[in-house]
Amino acid sequence: MSDETIDDRVEGAAEAETIDFANDDDVAAPRRRLLLTHEALAALVAELAAAGTPAVAPAWAGDAGRAAGATAAARETEYRTVSGAAELAFGERLPRLSLKQFFLPPTEVLFSWRRSGGGVELVSAPTTFEDQVVLGARPCDVAALPIVDKVMNWDYADELWNARRAATTIFGLSCGVEDDSCFCSAVFLEPAASRGSDGRLTPVEGGYLVETFTDKGEAFVAGHDALFTELAAGADGAALDAQAEGFRAAARERVAANLQVDHGRLRDWLDHHFDDPFWASLGPRCNGCGVCASVCPTCHCFDIVDEPESVGRGVRRRNWDTCQTCVFTLHASGHNPRQDQNARFRQRVEHKFLIYPLKFGDVLCTGCGRCSRACPTGQDLAEILADIDALAAAGEAAS
Amino acid sequence: MTELQDTARRLLDEGAVRVVIGWEGGRLGARPAFVTSAADCDRLIFDTRCVHNLATFLNPRRSQVAGLGKAAVVVKGCDAKAVAGLLREAQLERDGVVLIGVRCGGVVGEPSALEPPALTAENVSSRCWGCDVREPGSVDVLVGEARPEPPVTAALDERVAALDALSPAERLAFWTKEFSRCTQCYACRQACPLCFCERCIVEKTEPQWIETSPHPRGNFAWNLTRAQHLAGRCVGCGECERACPVGIPLGLINRKLQQVVYELYGYTVSEDPTVPAPIGAYATDDTQDFIR
Repeated sequence: MSDETIDDRVEGAAEAETIDFANDDDVAAPRRRLLLTHEALAALVAELAAAGTPAVAPAWAGDAGRAAGATAAARETEYRTVSGAAELAFGERLPRLSLKQFFLPPTEVLFSWRRSGGGVELVSAPTTFEDQVVLGARPCDVAALPIVDKVMNWDYADELWNARRAATTIFGLSCGVEDDSCFCSAVFLEPAASRGSDGRLTPVEGGYLVETFTDKGEAFVAGHDALFTELAAGADGAALDAQAEGFRAAARERVAANLQVDHGRLRDWLDHHFDDPFWASLGPRCNGCGVCASVCPTCHCFDIVDEPESVGRGVRRRNWDTCQTCVFTLHASGHNPRQDQNARFRQRVEHKFLIYPLKFGDVLCTGCGRCSRACPTGQDLAEILADIDALAAAGEAAS
Repeated sequence: MTELQDTARRLLDEGAVRVVIGWEGGRLGARPAFVTSAADCDRLIFDTRCVHNLATFLNPRRSQVAGLGKAAVVVKGCDAKAVAGLLREAQLERDGVVLIGVRCGGVVGEPSALEPPALTAENVSSRCWGCDVREPGSVDVLVGEARPEPPVTAALDERVAALDALSPAERLAFWTKEFSRCTQCYACRQACPLCFCERCIVEKTEPQWIETSPHPRGNFAWNLTRAQHLAGRCVGCGECERACPVGIPLGLINRKLQQVVYELYGYTVSEDPTVPAPIGAYATDDTQDFIR
């Protein structure tokens, strides 16, 4: 394996040196800049609810949540369809699961089948979805969508994913940085990244600075015009701009302190250290539970199952799956090419930071840090990437 | 702490074991550590953040751990109970592992603090209420000072009682809502020291006993089966609930099962591996007629 590189293993892989990681679908300049007061945001949520347009937003999780004994200082949040402003948890704790579930649900029907006469009748699942809007999603969750678009439109255009993407208008929320697990700025993003967003909210005094980036974003604002105030030219507008930029700058500085890596040498190290002893230092701690993949905004693997509903009819579904489980690669013969957790955890790191970048020109990670926060055994992705980067740097120095 | 580190160092130096499985402090709090060199033993800690049940790593199917060689494992009371479970169910040879017991005064719910928090009724793990193994007995070495009793909190039992007081329809509604978040990721199973099957029933497909799709039918089938398979075996360490990425209160189910097993068989999960569990014992005074 040592002489073989990923270029030989992945058909059509680009040369590592020539990858352009510029976010080609990032949007440089906002088209319109408006103010949305807290009261107007509440009115907007009410308006959407009244119109029957699902509005997905970070919201306070139910009281049951974690049972007694949890030390959670703050209440947990989740993305869900909200019906009133009281539910909103903008800029509070990062939601437990990412936004992924609204585009790739934990389970969804692909088609149903029914015995009919001598044959089988197939009925496709609907591939059109009602329009929905996402308000206040974290930039790391939003940026994951255009990254995953690439695999969802690679050898097959995934109708369900694409239709949900097309039906959704997304307004991100500039992030104040969650904690030491965040590292978006180490994966070509930043706490106010606009990638994947039709518009962006940034907290300012009295509400949010709203910027639109796409036709969808423009259309949404136009549809609720009375609630948005065009940012006045002159001193007032400039003051709000300065507030928003101050918020973003503080966040950028904070997250940059968590991790910095050189992706070129990181990738090169991964490509030439498939059997490195480093991997055996990560596997033992790992439970192989795949919580990291469940909470990950970019992990997109699914399993396909056929489930009978009754005699002569059934449903084919796809369900979230993860490379961290033993059975993910178990062959019918009994052979398992990834025999232990060392190999499985290596796969997680290689897929995100070597294979996907070479194949699709994007790192399959937005630095949200959910995997590190959710891991029951303390696996810390920022630490692991820093360790690999240090190994790569040491290797460069030695050669 | 020094006593723990010295013990680990001695075991590695003498060649009695090849790895010491304990806890270390990290950038994001406490976490399991696998120390293979005597020089690294100063990493080992034991404090109120050491919540992980280290018996989980003794599952013989975890080849990446078994491959490290003979292990010494640091055990607090709930870990020691889980080790006893593994011994009772023939997953482990007693002389195949060295047990370093630590005296425990309770742990917090989550390990993610940079310094060990002082225990309060609010932050103490629900597992610690009524703990009967604060000083593991069936270990090879016992280290650490005796610690004070953990703060009293009966929150878990109060919540179980509140559920018991509901009508069956209300209880069904409660669990339907809780299980609706389940994605069938099986993190609860992976975190459990007693879920050690080579092939879990949920992974059997000929026939398929449990639907793996996270719809209400599949989620009830999975969660009820998980619970049933742990009746009389669950040590109440709460690691399943801590691992759950969507916050399902599995501790309520496990506690209820403990109560039912006690009512039916007078059995409380024991730290002594020679005390048979009801599931693995035949008794002429069994409360159920069909088995007598």
